[in-house]
Amino acid sequence: MNDTQTPETHLSEQPAASAELNKRHFLAPFIAVAAWLVPGLGHLILGRWGRGLLVFCVVAGLALTGFYARGQVFPPHSDDPFGTLGFLADVCSGFFFVIAHLIEKTGPDLSRAAGDYGTRFVAAAGLVNLLAVLDVCGIALGRRN
Amino acid sequence: MSSGGLHLSHFAGMVAFALFVSVALGCLSQQTPKGRVKYAAWSFLLFIGTALAIAWLMYPFAR
Repeated sequence: MNDTQTPETHLSEQPAASAELNKRHFLAPFIAVAAWLVPGLGHLILGRWGRGLLVFCVVAGLALTGFYARGQVFPPHSDDPFGTLGFLADVCSGFFFVIAHLIEKTGPDLSRAAGDYGTRFVAAAGLVNLLAVLDVCGIALGRRN
Repeated sequence: MSSGGLHLSHFAGMVAFALFVSVALGCLSQQTPKGRVKYAAWSFLLFIGTALAIAWLMYPFAR
């Protein structure tokens, strides 16, 4: 509270601040879902244009390189626990996971080193997007700027 | 790129991976533009430097 504020004005600011906090807590999950579905969209909604475009370019670059190198995109159901972890990483890349089969029509080719690298690129795309979603949550809740 | 997909060499794959991940980490972990560039550059150099150091350490054991 500065010198020009009276105790009454300070008290009147508290409900406004509380309402703003409630609004942020309400919107944060929706913004997080948007950021997950379309990489960078969460940052764009919050007005962080530069960061949003950079996140989109990085996730798109990793995912598309992985797809064109014929890396493996893990299916939802797998007998192997590592396959399940791979699916969880892949699905974090949002709509790139959905369009994977459109780009990678011939399926993965793990007989070459490039295909193995491609698998890591696709997983890294999902994990980078997961970091971006956590960053968006922090910004939406006012914990980061 | 042929019908067999993108042919990434080991080195090109490593550089591309290091570049993408370094930019993302710098962008998401630092708050100022200068800090982001510095963090991304350091991260990229450490990725490449560590990989080359490990490669040279493994060189005597090559087939």
